Amino acid sequence: MNNSPSLNNLRILDLTRIWAGPLGTRTLGDFGADVIKVSDPRNPISSEAHVNEKLNRNKKNIALRLDTKKGRDIFLELVRISDVLVENYRPRVMRNFNLTYDDIKKVNPNIIMCSMPGFGLDGPYSEFPAFGSTAEAMSGIVSMMGYEENHPIQTGMSYADPVSAINLVGTLLTYARHRSITGEGCFIEIDLSDSPLGGIGEYIVANSVTGYQRPIQGNSHEQFSPHDAFPSKNTDEWIAISITTENEWGKFKEITSIESLNDSKFSSFKSRKKHEEDLYEIISKWTQKFSSTELMELLQQNEIPAGRLSNYHQILSDPHLNSRDYFVDFSDINQRYDGQAIPGHQLSKEKWTPMDELGKSSKYILRNYLGYTQSEIDSLEQEEIIKPTTGDYFI
Amino acid sequence: MIKTVEKIPNLYEPLRGIKVVEVAQGVAGPHCGKILAGLGAEVLKVELPPEGDWSRKFGPMIPSENELESSALFLHNNTGKKSVVMDWTNKEGFVNLQNLINKSDILIEDWDLKARESLKISKDFFVKQNPNLIEMSVTPFGLSGPYSTYKSTPMILFALGGFMNIMGFPDKKPIMLPGFQADYVTGINANNAIQIALWERDSISNKGQFLELSMIETLINLHQAPFQMDHGGNRQRMGHRQSALSARGFPPGVSSVPAEDGYLTFGGGSHPIFETLCLMLGRPELIETEEFQNVFKNPESGELMDKYMTDWMKGKTKQEVFIEVSTQWLLPVSPINTIRDILEDEQFNHKNAFQEIDHPMVGLAKYARLPFSINNKKLNIKRAPLLGENSNE
Repeated sequence: MNNSPSLNNLRILDLTRIWAGPLGTRTLGDFGADVIKVSDPRNPISSEAHVNEKLNRNKKNIALRLDTKKGRDIFLELVRISDVLVENYRPRVMRNFNLTYDDIKKVNPNIIMCSMPGFGLDGPYSEFPAFGSTAEAMSGIVSMMGYEENHPIQTGMSYADPVSAINLVGTLLTYARHRSITGEGCFIEIDLSDSPLGGIGEYIVANSVTGYQRPIQGNSHEQFSPHDAFPSKNTDEWIAISITTENEWGKFKEITSIESLNDSKFSSFKSRKKHEEDLYEIISKWTQKFSSTELMELLQQNEIPAGRLSNYHQILSDPHLNSRDYFVDFSDINQRYDGQAIPGHQLSKEKWTPMDELGKSSKYILRNYLGYTQSEIDSLEQEEIIKPTTGDYFI
Repeated sequence: MIKTVEKIPNLYEPLRGIKVVEVAQGVAGPHCGKILAGLGAEVLKVELPPEGDWSRKFGPMIPSENELESSALFLHNNTGKKSVVMDWTNKEGFVNLQNLINKSDILIEDWDLKARESLKISKDFFVKQNPNLIEMSVTPFGLSGPYSTYKSTPMILFALGGFMNIMGFPDKKPIMLPGFQADYVTGINANNAIQIALWERDSISNKGQFLELSMIETLINLHQAPFQMDHGGNRQRMGHRQSALSARGFPPGVSSVPAEDGYLTFGGGSHPIFETLCLMLGRPELIETEEFQNVFKNPESGELMDKYMTDWMKGKTKQEVFIEVSTQWLLPVSPINTIRDILEDEQFNHKNAFQEIDHPMVGLAKYARLPFSINNKKLNIKRAPLLGENSNE
């Protein structure tokens, strides 16, 4: 029986920051990959809101000035002993450090390097600044999101970032395997604005042939009705109800025992769609008698697709997720985080480490990976090439 | 090093020689199979008679002679596969399926508990017969726990996954993302799980495994905010604005606002970006104005800032604003592109994001390629199969 983590023979040099990159490399760390995160010692890691802590578990942190000759040399020594390098700076940053793929390749010819720019490393927009929130707008998905026609609204959660993060994991590992078979490294580029396209691919295919643009329509659905969020008896707690078949509709009428739902104007999908406003008003009156959890349980027991709109408290105490042992507790910082959706041989949760503070593993890595002596390390610290400082910044 | 492989892969077919059987239907499982096919694996889609994968009948539809071959949803999610029709719900069909699985590296299935029961298969049924096999089970809630028998749609998953609650205006109903996003991210994550297991099999253990992935857990991994927020509450729905990750909040101007022919999203969340925005708008006095330091404390500052931005954009198209703001002010901004916009966009076309492919029923159409490039080249994809197109092979 094999119980060692799946990726324990893979070393990732991680120059990513904020969200998309760190979430991607977190998955690799959860499966035992040796993730070395390189941060600028002048940019202390913010523990505000625990966002960085959540995204940077199971990684070692070395604080290194890449803009100094000595710091860059140390970085290249790390490149030499790594399988993969990932970065998500703006394109000019790696150029300014003289750390493009061409520079990296000279030191380690078969490394896999991956860049995650906003719109691309080349092309007309390559130098434009981009965030996950603007990249999602660029990708087209936001044009279908909102309440009313011609008034798109952003998701508010920078959708391009997490999708890029999950695209990173499989792509890197595919090419790590390829490298292990052929000895050949490569350069991978994942653009934030490109990542959401796979999730709207059907609209791309359709539009390219017929010009179809899916209208902005709130929660309303082309083939299901009712299909919306309805209010519960508690303020701002909602229940999502999706009736996908006439059979489910029949059961719904039975459970709710609302006389007016038997009106012929609600008898088919088409007619319900036509009278959706009336229909939703009737259903809302009924749903407001119960809590969202009660509604979900009642409807699901009768095989009707329904789900409460869980808030963070409800997610943390969710009986389903807890029965599957999904969460991880870091008692030192009194935080409970999401675990790992991907099954298989992860690090056992007792071995999961919370985020390294800035530079926490600098000395360890210099000594044990690169063979630096204590006096060499001391002088690097004195020259502030590896020395951490304090302040407030997102890594 | 990985020792033995049947076929030597290359950069543009890195999974050459890997054999995949896909019985999953719809979006999540098939999207995973599509990624594997795009990476060069041989993916055999095994479809049930008489109509095959249910997504063949799900819109958006493209007019054609055969309604089972004209769903854009199916065409997109099944590129590069072969299709055979086989009724694995009867004894003979099941034996045939089993024979295929025994010769394969990967099985992608979406059997829930009920389906597994009626097929009389335990979790290790296939892996026992073929120790090399990686079986990927993709279901909405997984095969254990109180919701494992629950019915779901993409909206139900978005609701339980905590995303719907944070999308839309605070004084209106929460809203969901369009289409099948819960399924798509799970399809991508299923490929991640498979790649991890392939690495383990081929470089460490020599063994496959049964992998059970749920959509709900995948979604919950995609929250940026911690679930114990520093103000003790929930991430707030902010409508057309970016929502804050902490109580500190940020200045206004991080919103979706209209230009002459459509909207743009302005990114931000830091004071330096706010300062540049104020200078751009010709309102430097706002930089230090107390009411403009935190839009969550002072929602009116958000309304005012949106108005200033809208006024500034009067008479300009969204593309003109995008270019001007990105090049002269170096602020993160993007037009909210329609699907037509992205198909015509210079940057996407420069990056070769789309590929035109012919199909016997719907003809030429453009498809999104896999979302990465290797040595600055995108991989090529092939069209989706007709129902049972490869049954005779």
